[in-house]
Amino acid sequence: MQFEWTEEQDAFRHKIRDFLHANLPDDWEKFSEHGPASPALTAFAREFCVKLADAGILFPHWPEEMGGEGLGPWEQQILAEEMWIAGEPRGGQYMNVNWIGPTLEKYGTDEQKARYLEPITKGQSLWCQGFSEPDAGSDLASLRTRAELKDGHYVINGQKIWTSYAGLADTCFLLTRTSEDKKRGITIILVPMDTPGITVRQIPSLIGEGDIHEVFFDDVTVPESARFGNEGQAWEIVGYSLRNERLGIPRFTLARAALDRAVQMLKAAGDFDSDFVRIEAARCAALCEAAGTANYAVVQRRVDGLAIGSESSSARYATVMAERAVCEFVIEFLPEALAGASPYLKMHHQRGIVAGVAAGSAEIQLNIIASDVLELPREPR
Amino acid sequence: MQLSLNEDQTQILDFIDSLAKPYATVPMHDVSLALESAELDEALVENGFLDVMAVEELGPVTAALVVEKLARLPFAVEAAASAMVRPLIDPELPRPLCLMEEGKTRKPLRFLRPGASVVVVGPSGVKSFTATEEMIAPAQEDTLYGYPVAFLTALPDAMTAHDADAAEITRAWRVAMAAEAAGLLGAALASTVTYVSERKQFGRPLATFQGMRHRLAEDQVMTNTAYWMAMRAAGTGSQADAAMALHHAQEAAKRVCYDYHQFLGGMGMTLEHPLHLWTYRLKLLTAELGGRGAQGLAAAEALWG
Repeated sequence: MQFEWTEEQDAFRHKIRDFLHANLPDDWEKFSEHGPASPALTAFAREFCVKLADAGILFPHWPEEMGGEGLGPWEQQILAEEMWIAGEPRGGQYMNVNWIGPTLEKYGTDEQKARYLEPITKGQSLWCQGFSEPDAGSDLASLRTRAELKDGHYVINGQKIWTSYAGLADTCFLLTRTSEDKKRGITIILVPMDTPGITVRQIPSLIGEGDIHEVFFDDVTVPESARFGNEGQAWEIVGYSLRNERLGIPRFTLARAALDRAVQMLKAAGDFDSDFVRIEAARCAALCEAAGTANYAVVQRRVDGLAIGSESSSARYATVMAERAVCEFVIEFLPEALAGASPYLKMHHQRGIVAGVAAGSAEIQLNIIASDVLELPREPR
Repeated sequence: MQLSLNEDQTQILDFIDSLAKPYATVPMHDVSLALESAELDEALVENGFLDVMAVEELGPVTAALVVEKLARLPFAVEAAASAMVRPLIDPELPRPLCLMEEGKTRKPLRFLRPGASVVVVGPSGVKSFTATEEMIAPAQEDTLYGYPVAFLTALPDAMTAHDADAAEITRAWRVAMAAEAAGLLGAALASTVTYVSERKQFGRPLATFQGMRHRLAEDQVMTNTAYWMAMRAAGTGSQADAAMALHHAQEAAKRVCYDYHQFLGGMGMTLEHPLHLWTYRLKLLTAELGGRGAQGLAAAEALWG
């Protein structure tokens, strides 16, 4: 066990920082208040990701056969940390390089790889995840959006909700029901978002404009070749994807950066002398540190070639605890931050409150920890 | 960054497992409030497990792993101070080692007995003396803590002054306690999980009720992170990491000690179940070095000045 970064890893981190410093506009901090899914940041990301690709830091962790440099999980972690602390200038494209690309590579047909991987590598595509439905949130396996195979085409009818990026996405990674067999009746279809019959409506939200949508599918017809994996294979594929996603966003780094920012503001205002405030700030820092160590333990499993299982749920829950603590700290001691005094802290708050909901709720993580880490006997169904 | 155990570490932990096997469970019909074993202590010393920190290729992380491992035993072993603090003061100090904050004589000292080395750490430096019978007042016989504890009634006029930085010794002390707490947290969780998985009420194991499952899962998150923070603090040697690690461990201890005794119900009030041998050690550690508030202030100072 050793807890220092290697010289190469430090150099990689500095390379990313230097790039961000050179390529983010002067008003970036204010600009990043637009959520990652906003039209403004999406448009920005389309230019920014091209620059990242040119500099070789869009997907350096992908294997060489996918065009990457085959850098390891630690480098992927460093890349994700630096981007997230900076306010995620890749917008929704972070998903492309974190899990959509690797999932395409693992489960996609040659046709799908040829069609979708190249735009990802050029920083030119935006995806959305068609997962949740009005009656299928945490109980995702009860989803009802139906895909029926007719004459070599799937005809899709149903509704998705709380879909991030849907307003501007090119393609939807869509979960559909192809049979009544609960989990084994779910099938993934890759649906171009300009297919006739798709209607996207934005839902006003607390987490930034353009972030949450409802998406309606009315007789949306795509060729059978748009199916991703086999019929009924979605649960396995999503499990693979979500395990990457759960670790994908190093939220604890932004929480910690936000905490540092809050402390600097309190110091400047002469309000960081109270023992109580200092102890509370330290408690937040400890929770960020806790989340970091738990996440790193999972990264190590990837380095060792071990399956990422339920440990990622434990790391995710630690992250939720850290995010909650920092969000509460800022509002309690710096209420002005969210009312105009700090775009950065408002940006953090809007992203932080999502931590316990997106990519499987905090309570679902606890269920997974109970069953799979602690191996408690299962609840009766 | 390399968070897997190396070969040496794996071997050492395996060796401790086999050496400590006779002490891994509570002796039949034992209902002690605290358990100690002179034979176990002697075996650990003889095999050099408390001296690993000074070995260059092992160092403080391996010492923390040893301390964490030993804390999982139902037997209380004075390992943390000896393995992680003593090498920074004087590796020859007689054991057991009792660490004391300067001026805090009212607090019970763990492992205090005639012949123990008492190390006083504070503003006037790092000093030590050998405890004698007349300076020690026993704690009341049925003291609940899972450690042997006693009180100092007086300090000697002369103490040995050590060429050691009090801040650095306090840092190491925090890490040592965090590592010990991590082991106690792990063992208490395992013990509770076993019980609630077997104990049936309403026709099914207690652990199938979500009210308990979610709390246990949160306890797992705290326990897992307490382990990693202790190891990280041992590895980095940073003041902030040490203070945060002990703060987090003390926070976790408060939470789980309540939860686990609740989950064991009536059984958790008895001495027939060994849970108290871990939780009551944890409870005493929540008071170590001034508790969470003091750790929080130390972390804030190290992080932000």
